Amino acid sequence: MMSVRSFPKRMIVPSLLLAALIIIPFVAPLITAEDPVKIAVRYRLAAPDLAHWLGRDEFGRDRLARVLYGGQVSLTVAFAATTIACIIGTFFGLIGAYFRGPSEFVTSRLSDIVLCFPPILLALLVVTLFGPGAGTLVAVLSVLYFPTFARITFSEALRVTSLDFVEASRALGTPSHRIVLGTILPNIAGPLSVQYSLTAAAAITIESGLSFLGLGVVPPAPSWGQMIRGARQFMNQDPLGIMIPCAALVLTIYAINFFCDRLRDTLDPKGASSSSMDEVSKPLALADAPAIRDPNVVAVISNLRLETARFGTPAAVVEDVSLTLRANQCTALVGESGSGKSLSSLALMGLLPGAIRQASGTLQLRRKSGEVVDLGFLDARTLEDIRGNDIAMIFQEPMTSLNPIHKISDQMIEAILAHRPMSKADARAHAIQLLKRVGMNDAEQRIDSYPDQMSGGMRQRVMIGMALTCEPRLLIADEPTTALDVTIQAEIIELLQSLRQDQGSGLSLLFISHNLGVVADIADRVAVMYSGQIVEEGPADQILRDPHHPYTRALIESMPSSHEELHSTGGDRLPAISGTPPLPSARPSGCTFRDRCPIALPACAEIRPALYPSADGERAVRCLRAPEAPAGLMNHQTEAA
Amino acid sequence: MLAFISRRMAAAAAMLLVIGTIIFSLLIIIPGDPAELLLSTGGGSASPEAIANLRSNMGLDQPVLVQYVSFLYNTARLDFGTSIVDNGSISSVIALRLPRTLEIIVAGTILALLLAIPAGTAAGLRAGGKFDIATSAINALLTSVPGFVLGTLFIYFFAQVLGWLPAGGYVALATNPAQHLQMLILPSLTVGLHLATIVFRMTRASVLEMRGHDWVRTAVAKGLRRKNVVRRHILYNALGPIITVVGLQLGILLGSTVLVEFVYNWPGLSGLLVSAVEQRDYPTVRAVILTVAAIFIGINLVIDILSSLLDPRIRLQ
Repeated sequence: MMSVRSFPKRMIVPSLLLAALIIIPFVAPLITAEDPVKIAVRYRLAAPDLAHWLGRDEFGRDRLARVLYGGQVSLTVAFAATTIACIIGTFFGLIGAYFRGPSEFVTSRLSDIVLCFPPILLALLVVTLFGPGAGTLVAVLSVLYFPTFARITFSEALRVTSLDFVEASRALGTPSHRIVLGTILPNIAGPLSVQYSLTAAAAITIESGLSFLGLGVVPPAPSWGQMIRGARQFMNQDPLGIMIPCAALVLTIYAINFFCDRLRDTLDPKGASSSSMDEVSKPLALADAPAIRDPNVVAVISNLRLETARFGTPAAVVEDVSLTLRANQCTALVGESGSGKSLSSLALMGLLPGAIRQASGTLQLRRKSGEVVDLGFLDARTLEDIRGNDIAMIFQEPMTSLNPIHKISDQMIEAILAHRPMSKADARAHAIQLLKRVGMNDAEQRIDSYPDQMSGGMRQRVMIGMALTCEPRLLIADEPTTALDVTIQAEIIELLQSLRQDQGSGLSLLFISHNLGVVADIADRVAVMYSGQIVEEGPADQILRDPHHPYTRALIESMPSSHEELHSTGGDRLPAISGTPPLPSARPSGCTFRDRCPIALPACAEIRPALYPSADGERAVRCLRAPEAPAGLMNHQTEAA
Repeated sequence: MLAFISRRMAAAAAMLLVIGTIIFSLLIIIPGDPAELLLSTGGGSASPEAIANLRSNMGLDQPVLVQYVSFLYNTARLDFGTSIVDNGSISSVIALRLPRTLEIIVAGTILALLLAIPAGTAAGLRAGGKFDIATSAINALLTSVPGFVLGTLFIYFFAQVLGWLPAGGYVALATNPAQHLQMLILPSLTVGLHLATIVFRMTRASVLEMRGHDWVRTAVAKGLRRKNVVRRHILYNALGPIITVVGLQLGILLGSTVLVEFVYNWPGLSGLLVSAVEQRDYPTVRAVILTVAAIFIGINLVIDILSSLLDPRIRLQ
């Protein structure tokens, strides 16, 4: 909500413009001494001169005076009607919301009926009965617009009355009128003021339109609509005649709309700061990648650094991540939310969100043909060919990962046809086969349902089936079971396990999870991420049984005891990791984990640990106190300090 | 699906009934004798015979309930009675003029969709880019120009200054097709641009929202071509919200059509309505407004059905 104390900068220009346009017509006597209705036929259509800056109209009346006084009429009618509509509407809306019952029905239904009516036609209907005139206009416009105010007030007030603090003050015995005036009204002032400006603009349009038809403000009283009507016949000789009132009208409506747009942005910054970039940011060619000799290697991430691309100074969200993925191997990427594990895998798909930028490092992939490509050097077209074909991904949220308005069949068929030219019927048969393979019963029928007709587990099976479309070499599963309930989780893990076994081409699985229990079941290798870095990496059994990094140790200890064999303590209390991971923009010096580390030394604040490999090269750990860390390093630094 | 359509049709019929009732009761609830009111011009009142004549003509001398039932019965038969001014059949005048109004609305809507959906999609896909900033600025300006102002300015530029197109008027399609189409351009462009501002804004917002959804990422991950991702997983999803909002805004469109027809001297319903209002020919005004309301409700019914075809979730509810 906008605070009264600090006037938002973005509101200054529109507010000043609007204020000027509203005030100027009402100080008309200070600007010109001319009479807007005094006829001087001798000077009809006279060109502008010093005494009559804007010239004279078809009756020789001073045009400046007419524009200014006409503005008075138009603005008065519009704002009077809007104000009346706002007051009556707010009143009805508040009563409806606060007391509910029948008044609620009247409030919400009435606006439905009025809204389905072309407003100008309703106005014409009333003018037929009562004759034209400013009074009639104000009455019609207020009747037209008050239901909208009532509805907005009603729904906003309903939202506010259910807020805790309103319930609380009602429970404390605050009188109704005090709650309404003191609590609810200030809270709904924002949406109401937006609607007020919208309505004022609409009212000016209708007023000028009716006056233009000769059914609004009665001549000789000036109004913008009437001036356009009058000058229309002479536009050939005197284009100024239509330009001036048109400009006045458009400028005023524009000022109101401009004010209204900015006001809305100020009240609801979500809509305004809409993303200014593509939904996907491309992989970049930032360095020459090391050559890959081992034919078993499917993908290599080296020295990847990802930064936020917005909001001032870029902060690293992923730092110095290197990972080698091999055929027939399941690599688990483990860590808490925000550790950068999903981003690292999205980078490999060329699917980084627009807000994230690749700052350094390379991403390499071995295609099915055996050719190794560096994603940064590929054009968009080749990337499209690779995605879904050489590398596929299963996402965390099966509920939102499928398009709700297309049938499963259509979504699967388009995935197949994107990479394999075949007939639609063949693609459909292939899709059914895939669904059967992921254990979907009644695949022939189910394939024609919409995602909303399926459970989360079934949707995740569909996602997996879709990922298998082209038998990819690399399958990334980004927390594929997190959103599912426990029994379904086990089924999905089992499915992934069996897929690894029966896919002949040697599928490499990158499994992202924060659940070490699942990881222990499925992974061959584990990489633990913390705060954007890999802190420990190695064979799954070694890492899980004998973690060298205090963070890995803490993760294992904080796991429920269903995986008893992994626990060294075996007690009934689950130790939690104290503290929270640092924000990417505020990482401490030295080791990023030191603030939460039970065994941190002073040196940990000074040295940023690297990933130290073990003697056999099988595992690596990013900790000064780990056995792998060079012995001299710690002492040397401690002495220096 | 059939149940859905019949439900919606029943709702539309109920809405029409409510509107008919409101229009009917306006004449009853106004203070004074409606016949006297309608015949009064300025200060002078009409002769007693004329008033009595009108009263019996409009059936005002009968009990309210009888009036109401016969009004509904006649309206349902599309018999709107006779004009106060010339005693002509209102139904046949409307039958003559309605197609001309519909022509402008249809042409304008097609123009608006052709202009606004591609532009709105491009702007939404690259929100914050140069194209978006430029089109959004133009759109904000156009939104602030009432239809009759746009029409007047168009006449000045295209007819007076450039002399490319006629300033207005109407020739039947059968008489002279080329001239007919020439005369159709400016009115439908005026109505179309007005609608286009609304469609543009909605398309842009809807595309902007849809492109952030997870299923778009899934579509990209599947390796679909960019244009297919945009077409099937962004634009197709965005269409539902777009047409719903457009349907709600059609009331304003129909209103601005009245003014635009007047500006271009297009002899549709508008001319009939304006002269009827000037002459306080209530039966004619009532008939025109009922017709327009029926069109509005009809279009919204079609839109309801269309959006349920676009989004299975609506009809599965």
